[in-house]
Amino acid sequence: MNASRNIAEPARAPVGAWAAPARVRLGWLNSSKGLGILLLMPALVLVVLFFLMPVVLTGVFAFTNMSTATGITGGAYQISPGALRVLTDRHGMGDLAERLGQPTYVVDDRGLAALEEMGIDPGIIAGLRRQYSGETYSSRREFERDIRNLPVRPDTRTVKRISEVFSRSLGNARFRSSTALIAAADAIDPDLTEEEKEALTATTYTGWTWTNDNFRRLATSRDTTRVFFNTLFFVAMTLTLFNVGYAMLLAITTHYIPERPAGIFRIIWFLPRISPVVIYVLLWKWLAWDTGFISAVLSNFGVRPRNWMLDTAANAWFFVILINGFVGASMGMVIFASAIKAIPESLFHAASVDGAYRWQQIRHIILPQLKWPILFVTCYQTLSLLTSIDQTLLATDGGPGGATEIWSLWVYHTALNNYAGNLQYGLGAAMALVLVVIGIVLSLIYLRLFNYNALVAKPRIEL
Amino acid sequence: MIGHLRTWPIVLALSILSAPLVLMYAYLFIDTVTNSPPRSFIPNEFTLEHWSFLWETRPGRPSIWRVTLNSLLFATSTSALVIVVSSMAGYVLSRLNVPGRAYFLAGVMVLHAFPAITLIVAIFLVLQVVGLYNTLIGVILVKAAIDMPLGIWLMKGFYDTVPWEIEMAGIQDGASRFTVWRKLVLPQVKPGIFALGLFAFLLGWGEFILPQVLAPSGNAQVLSVYLAGLIADDNNFDMNLFKSVGLFYMMPVLILFFFFQNRLMNIYGGGSKG
Repeated sequence: MNASRNIAEPARAPVGAWAAPARVRLGWLNSSKGLGILLLMPALVLVVLFFLMPVVLTGVFAFTNMSTATGITGGAYQISPGALRVLTDRHGMGDLAERLGQPTYVVDDRGLAALEEMGIDPGIIAGLRRQYSGETYSSRREFERDIRNLPVRPDTRTVKRISEVFSRSLGNARFRSSTALIAAADAIDPDLTEEEKEALTATTYTGWTWTNDNFRRLATSRDTTRVFFNTLFFVAMTLTLFNVGYAMLLAITTHYIPERPAGIFRIIWFLPRISPVVIYVLLWKWLAWDTGFISAVLSNFGVRPRNWMLDTAANAWFFVILINGFVGASMGMVIFASAIKAIPESLFHAASVDGAYRWQQIRHIILPQLKWPILFVTCYQTLSLLTSIDQTLLATDGGPGGATEIWSLWVYHTALNNYAGNLQYGLGAAMALVLVVIGIVLSLIYLRLFNYNALVAKPRIEL
Repeated sequence: MIGHLRTWPIVLALSILSAPLVLMYAYLFIDTVTNSPPRSFIPNEFTLEHWSFLWETRPGRPSIWRVTLNSLLFATSTSALVIVVSSMAGYVLSRLNVPGRAYFLAGVMVLHAFPAITLIVAIFLVLQVVGLYNTLIGVILVKAAIDMPLGIWLMKGFYDTVPWEIEMAGIQDGASRFTVWRKLVLPQVKPGIFALGLFAFLLGWGEFILPQVLAPSGNAQVLSVYLAGLIADDNNFDMNLFKSVGLFYMMPVLILFFFFQNRLMNIYGGGSKG
C-alpha cells in the first residue's frame, strides 16, 4: 500500500510558518514506527517496572540475608551483646570482646574539654592533664582512686561526674560507618590487628549482607521436601480431578441436556469464579465450621460438632482441593463446551444412525476433538495452580500444623506475614525465585506449544 | 436432543453435584436478613440487625463507606489504566509496523501466562523503599501492570476484527495514522473496550492478596482486606455479620454479571487466572 503514502503526502504540506512544529509532531505520529513506539511506551514502562525489575530484584534479594531485623536500606554498626558473643564463639576473639564489652576509662583531650565545659574546678582539670593524660583504666574504682589522689581533691559527687565523662565503653554503642567503629575501637585498644578489625566490622553490622545461605537452607531443610510434595499433590489432584476432569464432565453433560437447564448449570458453576475470593472462601467456612452447616446437620445423627476444614490433615486437603477445584472447573467448562459446540452436528446424527451409544459418541467424537483444549487447560492451570495462594491462604492458611502448606503460601509465610514477626525477605525471595524460574520456563514452553507467532498478521499499510 | 437416553438422569445428577454451591449461595442471602436458632438452619425470624455495620463503625476498624470508596477507587483506577495502556499497545501489536513486533506479541503471551504473584516479595520491598507501601497508588499500579498483558491480548483480538478498509480509507483522505486510530478505529472497538473495562473492574474489585500485602491498613484498606480482617478476628465471630458485609461487597459483581453475562463469560473462558 505504498500508494497511500503519496496520497497522504500533500495533506501534510506546511501551510505557513506556524505550521512547521506541528508538521514535525504530526510527521512522527504519522509513521507506523513512530506512532507504534509512542503507543507502546506506557505498556513498556509498566513491563519494565513491574515485571522485569521485580524478576531481577527477586534474583538479587535471594542472595541477601535481608529480614525485618536487618532492614531493607542498609544498616549501622552496633556492638551488641549478641555481636560480642559471635565474636567470641565464631572468631575466637574472646579477649577483644571482653575489652569492648567492659567499660573503659581513657583520660583524653575530649574528656578534658568536656570537663571544662561542665565548669569543673580548673585546678582538678590541670592536675588530671598533668598526671594521668593518656592513661587507660579498665576498672572504675581504680580510676576514681587516682582522681581522689589529685592535689586538688574533688568531693565524691564530682569524682563520679568526672569518671563518667571519661567512660569510653563501647557496649551497645552504635556507629554510622565502619571507620567510626574502628576509630572508637582503636581508642580502647590501639593494637588491633587487621583480622580483628575485619571480624569486628562483620559481626557488629546490623544491615543486610550478601550470602548464599538461603539456597543452602532451601536445599538442606526438611521443610523443603515436605512443601514440595504438598505442592505437587495439590497441583496434580486439583488439575486432574477438577480443572480437567470435572470441567469435562460439566461440559459433556450440559451438552446432552436442553439449552435452558444447561445454561442454569453453567451459571451456577460460574459463581465461584466471579465471586470475590474472600466471600467464596467464607461460604466454605460456613459449610465446614464447628457452628456451620455440616456440623449442624450431622449433630442430628449424634456426631460431635467440629471444624471439618481444619480437624485433620486429610479433611484440610479435601477442602483445599474442592475450594480450588470449583473455581478452576469453570474455565475448563467454558473452553471444552465451546469446543464441543464446534463439532458438526451431522457427526452426532451419523453416529446415532449407526447405533452408537452415548458413551461411544463421547469416546470417538468428543474426546478426540478436545485434545488441544485439554492440553491448553492443563498447561495454563498447572502454572496458575503452582502459584495460587488466595484460596488456600484464606481457607486453611497452611494448617493444620503446616499440612496444607504449599510453596506459594510458604513464600508468603516466610517473607510477608507470620506470627513471629520476623520476616525473612531474603529467604522468601530465594523461595519465590524457584517459582519465578518455573514460571518463565513453563510459559515459554506454553508459548512454543501453541505457536502464537502464527497469530501475528502482517500489517497491510506500510506507512 | 442427541442420543438415545432420556435427559432427566443427567439433570438429576448435575443438580445433586451443584447442590452444595446452590446451598452456599442461597444461605449467603438468607443469613443476612434472618436469625436461626442454634444448630438449625431453618430461620425463625426476620431481622435487619446484621446490616448495622452500614451505619455503625466497628471499634478499631475503618468505616465501611471509607473502605468501599477505596475499593471503588482501586477498581476503577486499575480498570482505566488497563484500558488506556492496552488499547494503545493492542493497536500496535495488531496493526502497526514496528521493529520486533512479533517479539512484543510473544512477550505479551509469556507475561499473560507468567504468574506475577511470584514477584510480590520484590514488589513489596520496592514499594517500601520508594514510599508507596500502604498507599492506593502503589497497589493500583501493580494491579494494572499485572492485568495489562491480558488486556493487550484481548484488545489485539478486537483490533484484528476491524476491517483494514476503514484505515485505508482514512489514510487516503489524508488523515495521519494517529488520527485514523483515534477517530476511526477506536470507535470500532468500543464494545471491546467496554468489556475489558468491566472485566478489569471486576478483577480489581475482587482482588485480595495484592492489597493484603501491599496496602493492608490505614487509609488504603479495601473491602476484601476489611472483610478478611473481620473473619480472621477470633474474638468477634459472627457469621451473619460476615455474610452481610460479604453480600454488600458482592452486590456490584452480581449486578454487573446479571446485565453483562454473555460478554463476561467469553472473557473468563478466554483465560483469566485461577
